[in-house]
Amino acid sequence: MLEHYVSLATKAIFVENILLAYFLGMCSFLAISKKVETSIGLGMAVTFVLTITAPVNWAIHHFFLQDGALAWVGLPDVDLSYLNFIVFIAVIAALVQLVEMILDRFSPTLYYNLGIFLPLIAVNCAILGGSLFLVERDYTFMESTVFGFGSGLGWFLAIASMSAIRHRLRYSNVPPKLRGLGITMLLTGLLSMAFMAFSGINL
Amino acid sequence: MSLLSKKSTIVLTDPLMNNNPITLQVLGICSALAVTVKVDTAIVMTVAVVFVLSMSNTIISLLRNLIPARVRIIVMLTIIASLVILTDQVLRAYMYDMSKQLSVFVGLIITNCIVMGRAEAFAMQNKPGKSFLDGLGNGLGYGIILIVVSIFRELLGSGSLYGFQIIPSAFYEAGYVNNGLMVLSPGAFIILGLIIWAQRTITNVEED
Amino acid sequence: MQQSNTYTLLFTAIVTIILGFMLSLAATSLKERQELNITIDIKKNILRSLGFSESDDEPWTQNNIQDIFERNIKSFVVDSGGSKVPGVSVDNIVQTDQYPVYCSHISEGVIDGYAIPISGKGLWSTLYGYIALEADGITVKGITFYKHGETPGLGGEVEKEWFTSNFVGKRIVDNNGKLVSIEIIKGEVDELSPEAYHQVDGISGATMTSKGLNAFLKTDLEKYEPFFQRIRKERTN
Repeated sequence: MLEHYVSLATKAIFVENILLAYFLGMCSFLAISKKVETSIGLGMAVTFVLTITAPVNWAIHHFFLQDGALAWVGLPDVDLSYLNFIVFIAVIAALVQLVEMILDRFSPTLYYNLGIFLPLIAVNCAILGGSLFLVERDYTFMESTVFGFGSGLGWFLAIASMSAIRHRLRYSNVPPKLRGLGITMLLTGLLSMAFMAFSGINL
Repeated sequence: MSLLSKKSTIVLTDPLMNNNPITLQVLGICSALAVTVKVDTAIVMTVAVVFVLSMSNTIISLLRNLIPARVRIIVMLTIIASLVILTDQVLRAYMYDMSKQLSVFVGLIITNCIVMGRAEAFAMQNKPGKSFLDGLGNGLGYGIILIVVSIFRELLGSGSLYGFQIIPSAFYEAGYVNNGLMVLSPGAFIILGLIIWAQRTITNVEED
Repeated sequence: MQQSNTYTLLFTAIVTIILGFMLSLAATSLKERQELNITIDIKKNILRSLGFSESDDEPWTQNNIQDIFERNIKSFVVDSGGSKVPGVSVDNIVQTDQYPVYCSHISEGVIDGYAIPISGKGLWSTLYGYIALEADGITVKGITFYKHGETPGLGGEVEKEWFTSNFVGKRIVDNNGKLVSIEIIKGEVDELSPEAYHQVDGISGATMTSKGLNAFLKTDLEKYEPFFQRIRKERTN
């Protein structure tokens, strides 16, 4: 069983990286990857929030929204799955807020490091995408947690490598009109090609 | 006499080229690329985004003086999410095959930065009519890039356009092969990078 | 401008009620159509796996697909021993050891092929589809996939014709009559190899999807093996 989770995590981190294969979380990726320190901060925050929101949204989908999920309160015919999107986004926003408050109260250093990124995260596609994927792929509770964590870590890895590349890029002579967004997209393409090489590994 | 005043025309056309949301404002790339493998999915996605963006801009602009400042963001999110759910439901009912292909990416319009960005930056300050045009313009500007990327990807990756085979079979017999990379994610990144380069050369924009 | 708490609460409550009402209205009114779409899509896939295709004089539309299905396809239920279960239709199977079979006819009483549902895990998601065998119960007539969440361009290629057409004509049993299932291999099939009769070309970059597919094809075919064994026996007699 453990093997199954390890393989799922590896898939989420490397083989089909949520950013490089599914293009999720591009906005903050492009905006933040200019600096290494901030990238690492945001990457950690995304991993953190994804690991929490994935299982929570799984539970909500499973016990409230799914077709027939309300059988335990005597409403077996109710199908609220059309509310998925709106509930997920609300849960994410609320959880981000909660995490912010808890961190502020109990771990000021971590809050100091992650704090400024947390509000950015509520509208990060990777977080919502993670929740939507776990519904589409029929994951179990444990699988969702592992998938959330793996996706977050994959995102972290992608943004950290990108910021390192962009750091080195300062010393190279990029054509003026390609500077900034253009060259970053090309580099992301190369990075995603490198990550695709992992699809050859047999799990 | 034209239908739109000069000012309104600018609101509508400016985002198409000079101030394109994807290539210049760096917004909304998330859900943009995953659906660009084929031209038809890109077109449906464009229609969905144009609808959500123009409607959300109009509604938020109508409510702009009523929305309490403290819960502004969450109210906007709720309105946008409702519009997206509506779009998704309609797609499922009337274009089932398409909704299967777009899968979760319709839902991800909610977190598309363009929608929130325009609501916050434009609709909160402007009148409904103007906000509607702004939404329409930005949606179309987003769509243009989406469709251009998808044209390249489908033509080079599958040899077809909008599902019709373009590259003649004689080419394949002579040894021509579809570029598999174009169908995969790196193709999208690289094509978008090149489009941004071309577009910035035309509009003469530089980043430091 | 800072509004009072009461105003904020009232405003959010009103927005929630209005939006909630509109959404439920839309969802309930469209639900029937959405469910119809799903059943039609499944019927289309059963037809396609059995070698039916859209023609210019009879294109498949929402309206006539039910009709075409009804005219051409008969369905029944078999149990794990391979015998037909009387009185149970494919729509109301309750026991887990009863499986649906859809068959098409060339003419009255002459069977053209059997389609059976297949499903299982690929790389990311559960794939759903149908595989159809010829009337001999050995040769693959066709295979389709109607639902999956695999990556477009990689695992997602399973639903493409270039891949599914490879299955046609392959055999699921070896010369001794033992079930070997169909195997998707890495790379291209060597036509000269003695194993080529049950092997198909793999999808590059989708090793995991192929592996999953191999596994569940085998399990699903095993479930039906008693039934197909009977068919093979009947034909040799």
